[in-house]
Amino acid sequence: MTIRCGDVAHRARNSPAVPLVVEERTPNLYAACFSAMASPCEVLVHTSDRRHALELGNVIAREAWRVEQKFSRYREDSMLAWIHRNRGKEISVDAETAALLDFAAHCYELSDGRFDITSGVLRRAWQFDGSDRVPDKATVENLMPLIGFNKLRWQSPELLLPFDMELDFGGIGKEYAVDRAYDLAVAHRPDPFLINFGGDLRTNRPPPHTPWQVGIERPDSEREAALVLTLERGALATSGDSRRFLLKDSVRYSHILDPHSGWPVPNAPRSVTVAASSCTEAGLLATLAMLRGAQARRFLEAQQVQHWILE
Amino acid sequence: MQLKREEGGVRRRLIAASCALLSASTGRGEEVPNSGIERALNDWSLDSALAYYHEDGRVQVIEPVVSVSKAYGDGASVGLNLTFDALSGASPNGASPSRMPQTFASPSGKSFAGGKHTYTTAPGDLPEDPHYSDLRAALGADWTLPLERLLTASFGAKISYEDDFYSGSADASIARDFNQKNTTVSLGISYEADSLHPIGGTPVPLSNYALFEKTGNQSKDGAGLLLSLTQVMSRNWLSEVNLSLDRFSGYLNDPYKIISVIDAGGDVRGYVYENRPDSRTRRSVYLDNRVAWERSSAGLSLRYMTDDWGIHSETAQLHLQWWTAERDKYVQPTLRWYRQSAANFYTPWLFDFTTPELSSASSDSRLAALQALTYGLKYGIKLRDKLGRESSEFNVRIEYYQQTQENGLPGPGALRGLDLYPDLKAILVQIGFSY
Repeated sequence: MTIRCGDVAHRARNSPAVPLVVEERTPNLYAACFSAMASPCEVLVHTSDRRHALELGNVIAREAWRVEQKFSRYREDSMLAWIHRNRGKEISVDAETAALLDFAAHCYELSDGRFDITSGVLRRAWQFDGSDRVPDKATVENLMPLIGFNKLRWQSPELLLPFDMELDFGGIGKEYAVDRAYDLAVAHRPDPFLINFGGDLRTNRPPPHTPWQVGIERPDSEREAALVLTLERGALATSGDSRRFLLKDSVRYSHILDPHSGWPVPNAPRSVTVAASSCTEAGLLATLAMLRGAQARRFLEAQQVQHWILE
Repeated sequence: MQLKREEGGVRRRLIAASCALLSASTGRGEEVPNSGIERALNDWSLDSALAYYHEDGRVQVIEPVVSVSKAYGDGASVGLNLTFDALSGASPNGASPSRMPQTFASPSGKSFAGGKHTYTTAPGDLPEDPHYSDLRAALGADWTLPLERLLTASFGAKISYEDDFYSGSADASIARDFNQKNTTVSLGISYEADSLHPIGGTPVPLSNYALFEKTGNQSKDGAGLLLSLTQVMSRNWLSEVNLSLDRFSGYLNDPYKIISVIDAGGDVRGYVYENRPDSRTRRSVYLDNRVAWERSSAGLSLRYMTDDWGIHSETAQLHLQWWTAERDKYVQPTLRWYRQSAANFYTPWLFDFTTPELSSASSDSRLAALQALTYGLKYGIKLRDKLGRESSEFNVRIEYYQQTQENGLPGPGALRGLDLYPDLKAILVQIGFSY
């Protein structure tokens, strides 16, 4: 029996049996598929040698799993779990975590507090499962005191996380993993490749004479691409709510929550895709645009970046 | 209270923040910290190099260097370095070539300890002391520590020992980041104190070489100020400007350098020891630009220096670097051009009818107007460990140096037709390993 990429995506995460599968898509184009960070991940490699694709796929997957293991909210042995266990104490974090916290601090500052890695506690009130379970005002209000990056004591590498507060690197982790894996892959093999971690992409260069074709999902469909972009170099990231939303009294609540109010950002576009040189930069610009709600387009135009908005 | 930000600036600042994030170390393979000791053992790095320098027909130097440093995650680091120099060969003594054989007593080097050594220079040759030898050992330490998020302090200290020269120096600097860490301004101060113990005693300045008039040990000290501005111009362009000022005072002569005293016909009448002013103030401005692309980088630096001895110098250096597609090897050619004007007391010889009025004079060719070109090539290989991570680097550097003296005075009478200002050619080979 041949295992296909599709099978991998549906296996349980971290299944040791099928961690990585390489399949030939077209002559000289291989796809290495694995699952990480709750997303199907894929690396397209233009090469005549399947082993090269496997080698690159392994390097990239290992890095994705490493980042996931370190910053996962769901694992007991993660760095994040260790930080959460040490709430209320001054702890010294490693260089990589420090760099991510510094980055989060910058994003918090330049979004006037709209991008906040402490806002994950709102998940206790909001579950974006396509249902109509919109929380009541009091539930949300009770969580608000636990939100605010400025309530942390952060002076690299010393961190003091107050009791009851939570950190969540979900808003940058996947894009960060793409960029980290990219750096390792570039250093490892020269073949043209495209990394795709659940819609966050980065490539070193296109195969000869054919730019990469990237399909962006329609917000209401998992299968059909609403728009096909070509990508030669750099990164693409998408922020959207194709599957994650609530619908009540014909009001659609997007999963983009405003940490200032605890409620979904009103009038946010369904999806925003941004092209930039790194995936981290693209992802953050897309997220910051979403957080602007109806002003998303104006914000992206002011940044002078290539972008695609689906209303 | 939050300030309303200019909309268009978000991206620029985000690029800077992403850059900082993605260039930070990942601590790949690191586990969740258990103890401080475990973390304390990580992050040590070692640099070592062995250099061989050879001047055509003159001195050669063998110099091993070892340095170890440890970086802490928060930007703090400590480093220690140890250098040895073994110098041997011939060094110009400052006298001019002559039509006649010239005989000198060697004051320098260990050879003198066993008694007076003499050497004779053939007619037409540049007089050089062939017994020049020296051993130097130097130990340096530096320490960098972040004071707060945007403020970093650095301290350094160094001691160096030679048979005839002891030196100690210390420096301190403070650096502040601005503009999302895209701009760094730093201000540094330094101090150095040296003690000179010339073999055979310190010659009395401008005294007759034949009289062996010597005095005791000497000293000099100096202090410097360095102001530096580093600016990230774009994702792959870094620019730096430095302004520096330093002043040394005390005994600044080379105790082993003499000057020929000639008559109007160009015949040697004797020799006197050199004498330089007892202070020197230097100012310099330095501009450096580095640009990096995916697999290559380039750097261009320019320096202008001027001092109150009348020396103005310009340096321009260009280096390029290319990596292989696998990013495991690189080649780096370098071209450096240097030019300086002469010190106002530089003179290749003295006339016997002018000597009494002199206050300062030196025939040291390093104080003459000169031009130099250095061609260099470096080749490096990154070595990987079993997991495919870059773990160490091995490199080889070869440089060829060519120096030509400019605007040399034509020799009078008997000196006419002699090569009074021979070119200097030198080669440097360095093998380095870092882990």
